Amino acid sequence: MQIMETVILGVYLVLMTIIGIYFTRRAHSSESDYWTAGKSINTYVGAFALFAALASSSSLMGAVGSGVALGIPFLFAYGFGAVAILPFTLFLVSGQIRRSGVNTLPEFFKQRYGNAVQIVAVFIVVIGMTFYMVPQLTASGLIGSYVLGIDYTTAVIVLGIGFTVYAALGGMWAITYTDLIQGAVMLIGMLVLSLIILVQHDGFSSLIQDALATTPTFGDITQPWMSYFGLFLAFLWFGIVSPSAVMRNFASKDAKTARRSAMWACLLYLLIFVFGLIVAAGGASLGIADTLDNQDMIFVLVIESYMSPLLAGIMLAGLLAAIMSSADAMLLAISAGVARDIYKEYMNKEASEKTVTKIGFAVMIIASIIGIIIAINPPQLIAIMVGWVGGFLLSAFGFPLVLGIWWNRANKAGALAGMIGGAIMFLIIVITEPFALVSEPVIAAPVSLVLTVVVSLLTDPPSAETQKQVGRYHGEIDAEELDTTAS
Amino acid sequence: MNSKSRLSDPGIILVAVLLFVSAVVLIWWPTDIYLMGISLAGWLMFGTYFIWFLLSIIYVMWVEKKEEGKEN
Repeated sequence: MQIMETVILGVYLVLMTIIGIYFTRRAHSSESDYWTAGKSINTYVGAFALFAALASSSSLMGAVGSGVALGIPFLFAYGFGAVAILPFTLFLVSGQIRRSGVNTLPEFFKQRYGNAVQIVAVFIVVIGMTFYMVPQLTASGLIGSYVLGIDYTTAVIVLGIGFTVYAALGGMWAITYTDLIQGAVMLIGMLVLSLIILVQHDGFSSLIQDALATTPTFGDITQPWMSYFGLFLAFLWFGIVSPSAVMRNFASKDAKTARRSAMWACLLYLLIFVFGLIVAAGGASLGIADTLDNQDMIFVLVIESYMSPLLAGIMLAGLLAAIMSSADAMLLAISAGVARDIYKEYMNKEASEKTVTKIGFAVMIIASIIGIIIAINPPQLIAIMVGWVGGFLLSAFGFPLVLGIWWNRANKAGALAGMIGGAIMFLIIVITEPFALVSEPVIAAPVSLVLTVVVSLLTDPPSAETQKQVGRYHGEIDAEELDTTAS
Repeated sequence: MNSKSRLSDPGIILVAVLLFVSAVVLIWWPTDIYLMGISLAGWLMFGTYFIWFLLSIIYVMWVEKKEEGKEN
C-alpha cells in the first residue's frame, strides 16, 4: 500500500464528493437542471468540462499504454482522431443540434425521424455506454489496486459503486463543476510529469534515444494500416456520436460560448497528447512493458518512477477523478436514455420528476454491475476498448445523424436501416475478426452510409414539416414559423 | 432546399479541409522514412494536432464574423 498516495487520494475524493453534495440541491431543483446544468456554464468552465469529459482514463492511461505496447505511432493515431473530435463536431453538428433544442441524441432522432428510430437509438446508446464503463472501470481498478494494495477485482467493485453513488447524487451539476478541477489537475499534472521526464533525460532528443535504446520498436508502425485508419475514424467521430459529449455541449449558455468552449477544449486536448508523447517515451525508456500483466499499468508506473510520492498522489487522484467524471457522464447518458427517453416518453407520460430520477438511478446501478462484471476480466487494452465503443457508435449513429441534419431527403426507413445495419455489421466484424485490430468502422460505417442513402431514396421522402425542421437546424427558417409543427 | 447555401457553410468547407489533410497522411503513409528514430507516418499524424486546432480557431472566427454580418 502506498501510504502518501492513499491519503491524498482519500482527501481528494472526499473533497469532490462534498462539491457533488453541495450541488445536489441545485441538481434536484428541476429536471432540466439535473440533466444539463441549467445551460448556464461560461466559456472556460465549459472548455474544461468538455476537455475532462473527453480526456478520460483512456486518453491518458490508454494512449500511453498503447504508445509503449504498440509503438508511439499508435498513440499519434489516437491523437490524430481525438484532437480532431471537437473541431469535427463543431463543423458538422453542434450548431444545428443546438438549434434543434433537444437534450439527448435519441431525442434528436425522435424529432427528425420519429419514435421507432428513437427507441433503436436508446438501445444502442445503452449498449455502447455500458460497455464504455469497462475501460473506465479497468483503469480505476488498476490505479486503485496499486495505490491501496488491494486486489484488482475488489478495487473495480468498490470504485464502480463509488462512481454510481456520485453520479446519482449530483447529476450534471456536480460533474460539470468537479470537472473544472479535475481538468486542471490532469493538465498541470501531465505538464509537471513531462517536465520532470525531460529534465531527467536531458531533453527531448535524448529522451527519444533512451526510449529507442530500451524499446527498439518504439518508433515503428507495428500494426497494419487498417488499424491506424480505424482508430482515427473511431475517435474522429467520437464527439458526434457519443451521447455524453453532446450533453456537455448543451451545458453552455449560448451558441457563441459553446463554440468557444469547444475551441479551447481542443487546445487542452492537443496539449494532453503532446505531453502523452513525452510520458510514453519516459515509459518506454523504463523497459518494463513486457514484464507487466496489463500494459495499461505503464502510465501509473511512469508516475511512480519519476514523481515524488506527494506529486504522484495528486496525479493519481486527478487521474482517478477524471475517470470518475467520464464514468459519471456515461452513467447519466444511460439513465437519461432509459428513464427519460423510454420510460417517461412511452410507458408513463405522467411520471413525476422524482420517479424519473429514481428509475434513472436504478438503471445506473444495473449498468454499473454489468460494467464491473466485464471489467473484472478486461478483453483488451483500454485504448482498443475505447476504440470499439467509438467505432460501434459511429457505425450505428454517424451517418443517420449527419445526413439527418444536412440532407432533407433522409427519412425514417433510411435511418433505421443505416443504424441497425451499421451496428450489426460492426458486431459481426468484432466477433469474427477478419481484419486488423480496431479496423471495424472502416467497413461498417460505409455500410451504414450506403444503407441510409439507398433506403431513403427507395422510400417516400419525409413530410414537409420534417423538411422544414431541417431548414430550422441551419437557421434557414425562424423558430416561430415552426412552433406549431415542431412541438 | 437551400442545399447550395449549405454546401458553402463554413463547417462543410472546413470538414473538406480536414478530410483532405487526413487523406494526405493516410494515402502517403511514409512508414519507412524515419525522423529521430520515429516513422514519418507517425510524425505526420502528430503534426495534424496543430492543424486541427488551427481549423477550430478559423471556424470560430469565421462564424462569429458571419453572425456579426447578419446582425448588421
